[in-house]
Amino acid sequence: MLNSILPLLVDGLANAALIFFVAVGLTLVFSVLRILNVAHGSFYSIGAYGAASLGLWLVSVGANPWLSYPALLVSAALVAALFGPTIERLLVRWTYGKGEAIQILVTFGLFLILEDLQRMVFGVQSLYQDTPMTLLGVTMVGGVVYLNYQILLIVLALIVLIGLRLLIKRTRMGRLLAAVVADREVSEAMGINTDRIFMLAFSIGVFLAALGGALATPTTGVAPGLGAETMVLAFAVAAIGGLGQIEGAAIAAVIVATAKVLAVYFVPALDSVAPYLVMLAVLMVRPQGLFGVAETRRV
Amino acid sequence: MLSIKNLDVSIEGAQILRGVSFDLEAGKTTVLIGRNGAGKTTTLRTVMGLQTKTGGRLMLGKTDLDRHPGYGRAKLGIGYAPEDRRLIPAFTVEENILLPAYATRMQRDERQRRLNEVYDLLPQLKTMGDRPGGGVSGGQGKMVALGRALMVADHVLLLDEPFQGLAPALALEYAQALKRLREARPEIAFLITESSPELLSSIADHSLQIERGLIEMEHGEAA
Ligand SMILES: Nc1ncnc2c1ncn2[C@@H]1O[C@H](COP(=O)(O)OP(=O)(O)OP(=O)(O)O)[C@@H](O)[C@H]1O
Ligand SMILES: [Mg+2]
Repeated sequence: MLNSILPLLVDGLANAALIFFVAVGLTLVFSVLRILNVAHGSFYSIGAYGAASLGLWLVSVGANPWLSYPALLVSAALVAALFGPTIERLLVRWTYGKGEAIQILVTFGLFLILEDLQRMVFGVQSLYQDTPMTLLGVTMVGGVVYLNYQILLIVLALIVLIGLRLLIKRTRMGRLLAAVVADREVSEAMGINTDRIFMLAFSIGVFLAALGGALATPTTGVAPGLGAETMVLAFAVAAIGGLGQIEGAAIAAVIVATAKVLAVYFVPALDSVAPYLVMLAVLMVRPQGLFGVAETRRV
Repeated sequence: MLSIKNLDVSIEGAQILRGVSFDLEAGKTTVLIGRNGAGKTTTLRTVMGLQTKTGGRLMLGKTDLDRHPGYGRAKLGIGYAPEDRRLIPAFTVEENILLPAYATRMQRDERQRRLNEVYDLLPQLKTMGDRPGGGVSGGQGKMVALGRALMVADHVLLLDEPFQGLAPALALEYAQALKRLREARPEIAFLITESSPELLSSIADHSLQIERGLIEMEHGEAA
């Protein structure tokens, strides 16, 4: 049984890694800006489209296939640079301190705009570019085949998790970020340009979502509807972990992925609803999520 | 040093400050006295740029504060200790004190020099340095907030009801710390708010009375 469940588990953890990138971005943006960005999943699909397009273009010009790895990172960074500061400044900033209904309406509007934009730019066909996955090959352990790329995804998620923690605990920027999360007004009075911190946090959130999307293209490709699907799943993960909790998002991603694997193994019919069943179960017992602190939030 | 001229502030349609005008002089301690809801906190918050004003001028020396966003005022040398302390609970006491230094990109040796100075003036802070900001008592928190404000207060120090809620022993310590500070940093202009006049009569150079957003009367040089 181990031999049949282990590959499923690695597969599940690789998916958890991808969803973790999106969920941790969502949670970071929430804890700093105090808004739930409904359009967050769109950055995942835009990152995916960007990475697939860039990757396909590299193939078409006959570039060195190893360039497909930096291409994933570059497209996520481009998406963050292009969308992060502008959207925060022009749109999201207007909703700070407004009611949740306004914030959800505005970011839902943004989601619709971004979806249309993707259809206009990338059309409705699906894109697939798997050079980064095929290049890494597979590992055989005990007669079972593992995709090395999936292992890479899991490692990258751990690096992002540790990196974010170090950023917040050890760097000047991270300390300022934590201060703004705790008390925006006093942070401003103590000399922190909180507008800039907001813009930065939003852009990091966009980058993480786009990175998830970019890293997903070699395994799953990208097609219309990916943004919405991802958003719902990322929200479930962030809610299970506790909105605003970075480690919570990581553990919740693993729980959700494991639930999916167990469902596939034992009750295949529940495969796609398993994450939401977990979410319901967790939120019924702990409405603030597993690691959420009721009312006060922290990064 | 800081000149406040005809300050008008409205919040949600209600006028809270009505033409508030006064000057803080370098080296002098000005006390702003007013009942609950008179507008003391609003005055200080407006100076810090945390509250938008509907009219009037704020000048720090020759600098028009309108040209500087709220976050720029710490860097201009205005230190502020809010009424409700507002420490960052997850930071240690020392991290709280250092926050303005990091925010204003203070040089490392300058930062250390000032931190030492704060510890010299407020020795009780030194023993609490490692404790979380969320774990100190209200009175100790007032002391930490004073230390934090001092990190940047080169010209102006704004203290909002520093004695409110302090036990008598701690209030005495705080007053002594202010006296030491007055001697160590004779150039700073102090503005201290209080709800009752008695507490500060011994350290006030000037005292002002504020009532319903209006400066009522001005005592000249106190004895
Ligand atoms: N955010 C706000 N919204 C509505 N009204 C406000 C707000 N802030 C202050 N006020 C009103 O402005 C007036 C002045 O308040 P302020 O806090 O400046 O008084 P204060 O002199 O500091 O009082 P206290 O001694 O209680 O601290 C009060 O009537 C208060 O109700
Ligand atoms: Mg007050």
